[in-house]
Amino acid sequence: MRVRRVFLLAVTLAVCLVLLTIQGRGQESRAADLVAVVTTPVQRALAALHRGAFGAWSTYVEWKNVRAENRRLREEVRQLRVNALVVSETAGENHRLRRLLGLRDSLPLQTLAGEIIAREWGGWVRSLTVNRGRGDDVQRLIAVISPDGLVGRVVDVRPGSAVVQVLTDPASTVGAHVLRTRTPGIVEGEPRGTLRFKYMARDGAGLEVGDVVVSSGQGGVFPRGIPIGRVRSIDDRGSALFHYAALAPVVDFARIDEVLLVIGDRGKDLTAFFPAPTGG
Amino acid sequence: MRGLLALTVFGGGIAHATLAPALRIADVAPDIPLIVVVLLALRRGPEFGCIGGFAAGLLQDTAGGGLVGVQALTKSLIGFAIGTAGGRLWVSQPLVQVPGLVLLSLVEGLARYALLKLFHFPAPFGELMLYVVLPQALYNGFLGAALVLALAWTQTQRGAS
Repeated sequence: MRVRRVFLLAVTLAVCLVLLTIQGRGQESRAADLVAVVTTPVQRALAALHRGAFGAWSTYVEWKNVRAENRRLREEVRQLRVNALVVSETAGENHRLRRLLGLRDSLPLQTLAGEIIAREWGGWVRSLTVNRGRGDDVQRLIAVISPDGLVGRVVDVRPGSAVVQVLTDPASTVGAHVLRTRTPGIVEGEPRGTLRFKYMARDGAGLEVGDVVVSSGQGGVFPRGIPIGRVRSIDDRGSALFHYAALAPVVDFARIDEVLLVIGDRGKDLTAFFPAPTGG
Repeated sequence: MRGLLALTVFGGGIAHATLAPALRIADVAPDIPLIVVVLLALRRGPEFGCIGGFAAGLLQDTAGGGLVGVQALTKSLIGFAIGTAGGRLWVSQPLVQVPGLVLLSLVEGLARYALLKLFHFPAPFGELMLYVVLPQALYNGFLGAALVLALAWTQTQRGAS
């Protein structure tokens, strides 16, 4: 065993020394060629493994980078979507406020702009809360309008806010008339959130679907001529004293965000200041 | 024996080709084939150390483009020597492994320098020792010890499971 080991060492050293001697005698290329015959395939295999290992590693790194980039881009897309929503919301708000400002500047009334901060939308009560209250000289029973038409009246004033009873509230009644025929009547809210126009049959001859109903100004709460709704259908009750017309409100109470509170003189006719309601 | 030898040569070669550049610190790279030869010679004996050292050194010589046979000779000697002395050395502690590998690397460096000097190697001894052999020896010592500890931990885990 010991002899075998020594023999092995001697052979190994001899091979090394032969190689070195060959090279030392100026025949480097021959020695190198000799070794290269054995080592080149091994080196090739090593290089292939090296390339494979690095290829796999670089693929993994790239995959990780792509994943990180994907995550970053997703976050960016999410942020851009939020930004787009903000821009869209701001543009919508800008448009609404411009309309409100235009109306406020054109009306021959003293008004106060308010923002809706809460909504009560149950069947029993339908109201909006605006961010104007006692400190802004807001009083009970003043009219609340929007660029589209009449919203309702203030029924409760608090230090920093006021509650507006909207027209569709079951307890809401507004004196009104049909713009085209001057047929007088009362607009009432209904529990299901709709409006109806109650009028005397003999006055309502000739009422048609699509007619616009506006506030009459009687009662002193609402200025005259503010659009309320458009006749959607007529409930002809034959020889009954009163007939009813279902109205489509001109204001979308569920979506309204800004309103004007009429705090000054309410005795003016505002028919000319509102555009003719569309749809119906 | 053959499988392990192939593993030594190929594993050391691959590690040297792939890991050594990545493990370079301040332009000092470890001599991974030497570490592998030493560690396996301790376990497998002088024959393995001699042949493994020869093959690994020959590959390094060829890859390096210098005199073929220098590292083959030094590494086979180191492998044989450490394989022979392995049974009498207490090498399971890092306190032995680090200085041991440092010492072996220094010896290998000295032997290589001596051999190369026979072929009129021009580099000054002091500079070569200070900037090449000694830093690499220290690096080999710590890397080898880390490798031994990692292997021991793996074996402990395997035994526990």
